[in-house]
Amino acid sequence: MNNFRTPPTLATEALDMGYGTRRVIDGLDVALPSAKVTAIVGPNGCGKSTLLAGLARLHKPDGGNVLLNGEDIQRLPSRQLATQLALLPQEAIAPEGLTVTELIRFGRQPHQGWLRQWSAEDQRVVQHALTAAGLENLADRPIDALSGGQRQRAWIAMTIAQQTPLLLLDEPTSALDLGHQIEVFELVRHLAGHGRTVVMVLHDLASACRYADHLIAMCDGKIIDQGAPATVVTPQLVRKLYQVDCTLLSDPDTGSPLLANVRRATEPA
Amino acid sequence: MKVALITRRLEQRTLLALLLTALVAVSVVSLLVGAGTVSPSQALSMLLGNENSEAYFVVWELRAPRTLIGIAVGMALGVSGALLQAVARNPLAEPGLLGVSAGAAFAVALALVLGASAASLRISVAQVGALVGCLCVLGVARWRGVGNDPIRLVLAGAAFSALLGAMTSMILLFDQRSADEVRFWVIGSLAGRRLEDLWAVLPSMAFCTVLIALIARPLSALALGERMASGLGHHPQLIRAMVVLCVALLVGAATAIAGPIIFVGLVVPFIARAFAGPDIRRTLWFCLPIGPLIILAADIISRVVVSPSELPLGVLTALCGAPVLIAAVRARRLPML
Amino acid sequence: MSLSMPPRCLKTEFRKQDTAALLFSAPSIKAADEVSVIPPTGYWRWSGRGTSILIERRAVWVNTGLLLALLLAGIAYLCLGSLTLDPREVISALAGQGDMMTGFMVQELRLPRLVAACLTGGAFALAGILMQTLARNRLATPGIIGIDNGATAFAVASVVGMSVSLAPSAMALTGAVTAAVLTFGLAAGSGTQGYRFIVAGIGVGAVFGAITQLLLARVAIDTANAAYPWTVGSLNARSGGSVQLLGIGLMLGFVAALALARSLTILRFSEATANGLGVNAKARRVQILLLSVVLTALAVAVAGPVGMVGLIGPEIARALSTPRHVPVVAATLAGALVMVLADLAGRTLLAPIELPVGIVTAIIGGPWLLWILMRPQRSHA
Repeated sequence: MNNFRTPPTLATEALDMGYGTRRVIDGLDVALPSAKVTAIVGPNGCGKSTLLAGLARLHKPDGGNVLLNGEDIQRLPSRQLATQLALLPQEAIAPEGLTVTELIRFGRQPHQGWLRQWSAEDQRVVQHALTAAGLENLADRPIDALSGGQRQRAWIAMTIAQQTPLLLLDEPTSALDLGHQIEVFELVRHLAGHGRTVVMVLHDLASACRYADHLIAMCDGKIIDQGAPATVVTPQLVRKLYQVDCTLLSDPDTGSPLLANVRRATEPA
Repeated sequence: MKVALITRRLEQRTLLALLLTALVAVSVVSLLVGAGTVSPSQALSMLLGNENSEAYFVVWELRAPRTLIGIAVGMALGVSGALLQAVARNPLAEPGLLGVSAGAAFAVALALVLGASAASLRISVAQVGALVGCLCVLGVARWRGVGNDPIRLVLAGAAFSALLGAMTSMILLFDQRSADEVRFWVIGSLAGRRLEDLWAVLPSMAFCTVLIALIARPLSALALGERMASGLGHHPQLIRAMVVLCVALLVGAATAIAGPIIFVGLVVPFIARAFAGPDIRRTLWFCLPIGPLIILAADIISRVVVSPSELPLGVLTALCGAPVLIAAVRARRLPML
Repeated sequence: MSLSMPPRCLKTEFRKQDTAALLFSAPSIKAADEVSVIPPTGYWRWSGRGTSILIERRAVWVNTGLLLALLLAGIAYLCLGSLTLDPREVISALAGQGDMMTGFMVQELRLPRLVAACLTGGAFALAGILMQTLARNRLATPGIIGIDNGATAFAVASVVGMSVSLAPSAMALTGAVTAAVLTFGLAAGSGTQGYRFIVAGIGVGAVFGAITQLLLARVAIDTANAAYPWTVGSLNARSGGSVQLLGIGLMLGFVAALALARSLTILRFSEATANGLGVNAKARRVQILLLSVVLTALAVAVAGPVGMVGLIGPEIARALSTPRHVPVVAATLAGALVMVLADLAGRTLLAPIELPVGIVTAIIGGPWLLWILMRPQRSHA
């Protein structure tokens, strides 16, 4: 069985990725810090979602490797990978009529088999996932009847039930309003607090600053800077990424950077 | 800018003239070529004045009516396709695909089984069937937004035609006597069709021509949207009703003579729009020569490929129409007309 | 909802309790644990020595019910016809007793046809539900996306003797594969989920339909007339060899589908989700496509294009089942049931005229298809 006690490592080595002849990611080397929340940010088309797809083995690299615990993920069997790394794609669609618990149970799939369909362990983990995501009261509600935030939490609960030390989220809050976004982010922080490594692609730099321990800023398929948000985010970086000027403040409660007075850049980056 | 427009107009005039010339040429070929024993050279020498009673009979009694019918059917199907596409605002709306032809065929089969046999009755029955089919399809299109998605509408139409087709087959099995009469007709073809049928549908086709001339201008305004059209002083509901009437009369007439022929109403406006641009009036002009051109060309091929027997015309139109349908569907963005 | 509540209310208190302990404790199954395992709602659980098997109660009832209905329909099928028999007569005839005439009628005429109906119906419906799941599209059944027509065109080529000596089954398989490659090839890029894929498939089907007509037009009228009922779907023109081939194929295909059942359930999610859950989506989809195409081809070789069964069978199965699984078994049984009933209706309703089963299913399936299309679109917020 998987050894959860030693945190897993996920890294890339001279990774090249693209679509057809178009190169999106070029010779990328990155190591993702364990048991932390990492946010990948950057302008549209910078390759951040492609990178996530590469990390999750959804998209085959043109060159280089993605290494999970030092091993090339292309060589791992699908099922073994699914016990190490869970993924929540951007627009997750569930079959019609499924309830929350039924959806979460699918997360146990990689641990099950024809002769091992429902163990005590499965039962415990599904119950735990429901609790962790705060969905106990909605357990038998159909997915279609949930609010956006609740639905997203149900999907994250499914990945929790997968019991993987690594969790990859592709823009988990893109279609949610502010309240629902906070629901999801707090759940993510909660998971990282209990030793999971979470990597998420985010559109919004402000929430990345607020909720990530580690920030990876990408532009044109390359990493411009990475590190703790407080050290990485500078007015120069923001201008480079989004062609805007801003004033940086420090959050009086958490110390994370806050963007204020955002306006179009007056001079070229 | 203005100069460019004028030259474009001129080019379109030339193009139209070229198409008409081509139509004349194809008509002549249609007189000369056939599945039977009269060779093109025999037919040509007869046309040039040499006595040949067999060639005379074949050319004037068999091939000439067939050519005339082909021209009429091609015009009717092409124009009705363009009209239906304009009113459904859907480039895939085709009378054959959407079940209008199937409605006409079903009505005729039903009428024949119930005892009708007169040719003129058959035409009005087919037209009523086409009208009902047309109304069904457009009713479906307005139902819960099915029509907002061009492709969904086509699917509904395909399901509807398949259903009507199966019911027609059932009726034919039910009544063996009329089956023999109808089976021959239910496969679209120009072979062995009677010229009297053509005379019988001419009045309704003339009526449609007048009606189309009247509604062409407001119809092109309808392309800007219903509100815009009312703002310009037109009555969208009335225009739509008249277009539906025209489509039903034309498709009914064409189906009554030649049987159901699908895909022509899709291909012809498709080509016509490529020549004429988005304006419905110019598209209609281009449909007039292109429709007969395609029908006659397909008919000539159908006589030659499997000579001495003949291929049903519908087979050929399907063979060239289906790829157009696939290409249209594959296009990244379907233009809403 | 979010408007009526202040943001504070949305903040969810996540239980801090012993989650860490749960996450990091090595999984251990103890005997004491086993006692406390409650199967998920709607399931029976059978367990012992580290194995545990879940059986969905609803599926058991549905499959038993469908099997019983199929049995009853089968008996009715053997009883009714040009000569109406008593069920007791039929049973004694099946046992090899009773008078010669009845024995011949039941064993030589009706029983083989009943078997053919069950096999073709099951195969069409199984192929249908496989294709629907693979394409994640309720309309994507082999009959609608042109695969039936492809198989028919090629099989007709062998029947009308276009200098091909291969058996119809082999030709049907070639045609089905050609059509599948065309439809899926043309859909590449735009995906299989939308209506576009279906219309492209209809286009491919129209081409093959025209080719069938063309082949029929080329041969002598008698040969064409003999092949005609088969081109609209009929159990009259079947050959013994292709029925046996279908029997073997359906048996193997059914086992393969059961083995794939767990992956099928996961494939209903998006490709990314399926991969995330440890299913190699690409490889599985190729296997499922192949299975579906082979089943369709074998069934077409027996009965012609009765593709509507591939739509109706899975629809019935889904309506009766829960959304937790892809109802592979129920769809197969429902397909067989529909085929038996449709052929029974075709044989008896307008007697002495026999309606080809393809026409009966088209008349039942057409409105059904329309209804599917007219349903309001499912919206994703």
